[in-house]
Amino acid sequence: MQKSKTEVFFTWFNIIFLALCAFATLFPFLNVIAVSFSSGRAINAGEVFLWPIEFNFDAYKQIIDDGQLFVAMKNSIIITVVGTALNMVFTILCAYPLSKTRVKGRNVILMGILFTMLFSGGLIPQFLLVGNLGLMNTYWALWLPSLISVYNMFVMKTFFEGLPEELEESASMDGAKDFTILLRIVLPLSMPVIAALTLFYAVGHWNAYQSVLIYIQSSEKLSLTVKLFQMIDLVSPELLDSGEGTENDVVLTEQAIRSAAIFISMLPILAVYPFLQKYFIKGVLIGSVKG
Amino acid sequence: MNNSNTAIEQTSSIKQDSKPTKKSKRLQKAWKYIKRDKYLYIMLFPVIVYFLIFKYAPLYGEIIAFKNYRLADGINGSEWVGFEHFRNLFASQEFYTIFRNTLLLNFYSLVFVFPVPILLALLLNELRGEGYKRVLQNILYIPHFISWVVIGGILIALLSPSTGFINYALQFFGLEPIYFMVSKFWWTVSFIASSVWKEAGFGTILYMAAIAGISPSLYEAAKIDGASKFRQIWHVTLPGIRSTIAILLILQVGKIMDVGFEHIYVLQNPAVSEVAEVISTYVYSRGIINLQYSYTTALGLFQSIIALILVVSVNRIVKALGERGLW
Repeated sequence: MQKSKTEVFFTWFNIIFLALCAFATLFPFLNVIAVSFSSGRAINAGEVFLWPIEFNFDAYKQIIDDGQLFVAMKNSIIITVVGTALNMVFTILCAYPLSKTRVKGRNVILMGILFTMLFSGGLIPQFLLVGNLGLMNTYWALWLPSLISVYNMFVMKTFFEGLPEELEESASMDGAKDFTILLRIVLPLSMPVIAALTLFYAVGHWNAYQSVLIYIQSSEKLSLTVKLFQMIDLVSPELLDSGEGTENDVVLTEQAIRSAAIFISMLPILAVYPFLQKYFIKGVLIGSVKG
Repeated sequence: MNNSNTAIEQTSSIKQDSKPTKKSKRLQKAWKYIKRDKYLYIMLFPVIVYFLIFKYAPLYGEIIAFKNYRLADGINGSEWVGFEHFRNLFASQEFYTIFRNTLLLNFYSLVFVFPVPILLALLLNELRGEGYKRVLQNILYIPHFISWVVIGGILIALLSPSTGFINYALQFFGLEPIYFMVSKFWWTVSFIASSVWKEAGFGTILYMAAIAGISPSLYEAAKIDGASKFRQIWHVTLPGIRSTIAILLILQVGKIMDVGFEHIYVLQNPAVSEVAEVISTYVYSRGIINLQYSYTTALGLFQSIIALILVVSVNRIVKALGERGLW
């Protein structure tokens, strides 16, 4: 293979340029982690780059002693686990019947559902509805309005449509009812799409901010995102007033506490990310087959 | 001519005669289908109830845009005021500010954010080492899964004029520190850059798949014709992903009336509200905080209608250009 000089140059430029992109993607995370483990002096002097300077755990000790962030984390786990389970059940209940062309009225229902994606009632009517239903300050207000994502439902429907029909036909001759077919045959074959959509829904719940801000008032029910934003906005004086908790003369700064809180709240996602990455790519691609 | 007319009359008269029996037959037939698939309809039942309550009831709730909604009177009991809220809205200076900001920020996104995943995908595709490529991709996807609250927190910390790393770097190179979050220009730059940082990598997935679907024989043919790498990208790769670009463009334009609340809310501060107050944050502060429900519903309705018109028209244009639309 003969390669021109410009092409060789381009190949190397490309390799280095993309490495820089990846570094730029990771750098903010690395810097926050480094700051969270650094001393106040080093942070204020601007010495922290990629690794901690004057390594210490003080910020984490303060956050653990305070405990509020972990209450919020527990809430976020409840919101995410229950919410995602509800999402998946209803998305399957919606997508499976609608994947069967023999169901009468299917097109009318599909149009009705598609319309809600193109034209929504807006924030205020939904807010009033949640209030009228008496869901305010309960997690149902977070789970119910977003029970079925129309986009995810279409992804799942497309996947179901792609399953070989003969499998189901042989099952229905055995007298298996639709529910049994769905549970025994269709769902076990649909694990890739189930994994992908579970991930998308779960990340949505975990990262949700606006809905919690609007619907949840009690401070002990707040999710991690809202609690974190409060901490970023204003680090409470009790957290800074470390007294006997600290070793030596290391001064805690707001910046270290903020960074530690940020790192703690990213941790769960970063921990599951490596295991799930092959599923979300699949999920995105199934969705693109038919819009 | 005459002949065919009478023929039509005949058939229509036949239709009329047979209507009652045909109708009952149809009902019978429909009933038969419903009985056959009753379990499927049982599955659909809660789903339909859900959509009626949580998606269609709020559409009915839109009527408070034409009423003076008061909690005590409820949606139906509140008094009608016609287009008063819309008149107030269009007469207020604030409306033009938030409308302009919403459009501008989305316009910048369209120009500066939308093309980035395409470029990244083209570059990634040129990498030869599969392992290296996969590692890079997995790194680039990470920010998509991190919440705006976290990203906002990180960004504000990095850009802080007193302790932020970026400003230390600027000073290191002998430059003046920049107050990113309070300068209107730099705030906008930071807002757009954070979009690129969060979503550009994830956005490459669809383009990479589209590129992988291009037949290798096209590249072979281009090579035989003596096309350089750049010519191959221009004449083979780009046309090959044209329909993916078109679909994503429709989706993007459909969102032009909407700046995601969380992204802007976590970065907003009073110093930049002149460029950073958008429809979604305005609806939140006026509607939810200040309880002006009818007024903000009118604004929301205006926003939804424009968005619908935009999606439908862009879809039509894309189809007219010979690409597959969204529907």
